[in-house]
Amino acid sequence: MNKTFLIIQREFLTRVRKKTFIISTLLFPLLYLGLIFGTGYIGAKSSTVLKIAVVDSSRKFTAEKIEKANTEDPSSILTLVKEDPKALSKNFENKGYDGYTVIPSGMMVSKSPGAVSIKSNRTLGAIPAVQAKLNGIWNDIKYEELGIDTEKRETLADSHLSVSAENMQDKNADGTNAMIIGYAAGFLVYFILLIYGSQVMMGVMEEKTNRIAEVMVSSVKPFQLMLGKIVGIALVALTQFLLWIAFVFIIYNVSKAAVDANPSMAQMVGGAQKIFTSVNMGLLLTLFAFYFLGGFFFYSSIYAAVGSAVNEDVREAQSLSFPITLIIIFAIFMLTIAMKDPTSPVAVWTSIIPFTSPIVMMARVAYGVPGTVPYWELALSMISLVGGFLFMVWFAGKIYRTGILMYGKKPTWKEMIKWAMRK
Amino acid sequence: MPILEVKNLKKYFATQKAVDDISLSIEQGQIFGLLGPNGAGKTTLIRMITGIFYPDSGSIIFDGQPFNPANDIAKIGYMPEERGLYKKMKIGEQTLYLAQLKGISKKEATGKIKEWFAKFEMESWWNKKVEDLSKGMQQKLQFVTTVLHNPKLIILDEPFSGLDPVNSNLIKDEIFNLAQQGATIIFSTHRMEQVEEICDHIILVNRGQKILDGTVHQVKQDFKEYLYRISLTGTGNDITDNEVFVIKDRSDNSLIIQKQEGKSNNEILQYLLSNGASIESFNEILPSLNDIFIRQVEGTPLARRFQEVH
Repeated sequence: MNKTFLIIQREFLTRVRKKTFIISTLLFPLLYLGLIFGTGYIGAKSSTVLKIAVVDSSRKFTAEKIEKANTEDPSSILTLVKEDPKALSKNFENKGYDGYTVIPSGMMVSKSPGAVSIKSNRTLGAIPAVQAKLNGIWNDIKYEELGIDTEKRETLADSHLSVSAENMQDKNADGTNAMIIGYAAGFLVYFILLIYGSQVMMGVMEEKTNRIAEVMVSSVKPFQLMLGKIVGIALVALTQFLLWIAFVFIIYNVSKAAVDANPSMAQMVGGAQKIFTSVNMGLLLTLFAFYFLGGFFFYSSIYAAVGSAVNEDVREAQSLSFPITLIIIFAIFMLTIAMKDPTSPVAVWTSIIPFTSPIVMMARVAYGVPGTVPYWELALSMISLVGGFLFMVWFAGKIYRTGILMYGKKPTWKEMIKWAMRK
Repeated sequence: MPILEVKNLKKYFATQKAVDDISLSIEQGQIFGLLGPNGAGKTTLIRMITGIFYPDSGSIIFDGQPFNPANDIAKIGYMPEERGLYKKMKIGEQTLYLAQLKGISKKEATGKIKEWFAKFEMESWWNKKVEDLSKGMQQKLQFVTTVLHNPKLIILDEPFSGLDPVNSNLIKDEIFNLAQQGATIIFSTHRMEQVEEICDHIILVNRGQKILDGTVHQVKQDFKEYLYRISLTGTGNDITDNEVFVIKDRSDNSLIIQKQEGKSNNEILQYLLSNGASIESFNEILPSLNDIFIRQVEGTPLARRFQEVH
């Protein structure tokens, strides 16, 4: 076992000391945040402010009301004009308007006013904003004509029914929050399986193409070599996660003061806090670690077997590992099904079968244990995952043992299974 | 006591009898040549001796005990023909890692590595990466990693491929050195001139079976054709086939003759002298290992055909 430890150490250290590890660990969160805020910023910057000319035949849309709406909502600019619609249809572009609209005469509060169209020479995108603005003005007109004063308006606006789902087994469970956490955890496991699983495969291929495999197996058992690599890379993944969690913790504390000063940010952070407090974080993190490691051992040993079977050609590796990737992607589809109905038979069974359970079960447990996922299902899923990965590591080890010393043509899956069946 | 004794070893693959009932015995301190054409089963045989493969049947006795890979591989140094190192890893670290995997402590390994690096003038390499080295330099490094843990049995598969004559000699001298210090060396190759130079004892393997076993001297004696080269001061034109020998080839001042069965060298000389020849030199022509190798292997398909294994 001492030798396995040496191998784990090497696999871990050579990866963690690489520049790419340090850069990706630092850059990934920045890139991620940059992507979110950057697209938001660009979206806000580039959204066009439409200038719309309003011809009012109803005599209800006064310049005063339009001016008030413009100051409240600057996402578009409405201008009251007194021109003839026919003339306007020809020259609105020359006057600097993107489009114009005619409010028909005889608009009545007592009956639904029907459609108003904004005429333009191109297809305008930001119509919903203009619609909301015109309706805002229309609301003012309605309240005025019906004699509802500001105080009553506020009462009306505040009074509404709020509907939420409550799980009687688990009073803390919150569907929306569970959905967010379930998706986040499920996708995280998915990324780990794909990214670090293929790292295991590349590592095995490296040993084979560098021709060091035979040197190694004259010192250690092939199984030790494979296990050392898988565990070493699992630790790399774990390290990266712990660093990210540490980053989040530090950034959260450092920026707390700034957040408190900014109400919209405070609201966002409060929302995030509410999500975390609404679920059993301790249980969730424990289960996350369990399913992440279990799923990783399960899949990366298959990836190791594939890496041992192919030669230097990357395309060979891709074609042979494609079915595995497909199963992982299938698990993501099952995740979306489980999110919609976490107690459906499909969700239950895919969260027990070890091929899909690391991803699907993470989504389900966010809805609450034992409320949504009874203890027996969780236990069965965990036992079958442990059994699954023990079997898979053993099975892959047999393929690996033969494959690592085999050069020549790419074997098929059928041949690989034959290697594993041999005693 | 032999350090390694192999008895009736067999290993069959799905389409090939890779090793089919081979027995051999190697004394301590010997330099043992394992010869055979490509695909003869040499590598499979070596892989069983190094614990990489389990034999289907037969036994391996290592150092007086039944071979137990878990413990005994620490006493074996194996340089496979398909060899390599981690390209991106620093040379010092890598050598240390491979030595530790053989079970020696970090401290001891560090000392030994420094010794060997000094011997091969490799001290400046410690922090370089393997990918920075030329192929010949990598080979030297590979040799160091193979023998670093003082193995009792060293198995070298084509150790000189890719080495220039200077480095070849360096490694050759080290092989002799190690043998003198008591290590046993199995040397697998198909370069026959090196075998004649280095090995004490050889076996020839073909199609999974041993077809020759003996010391280099013995094998040559066994395969000699009683050929002699005779240099004369005059021409030997008047000498013809007779009851002592037949003439195989003749040039200006020399004859190549083959002794008839049951005759002695003295009888040849007597015949020559009595026929008035003036002899300058008289040598026996022994076959080279290369000739023996080709003669033994010829007629069998070089690359083995796939066969049914029952």
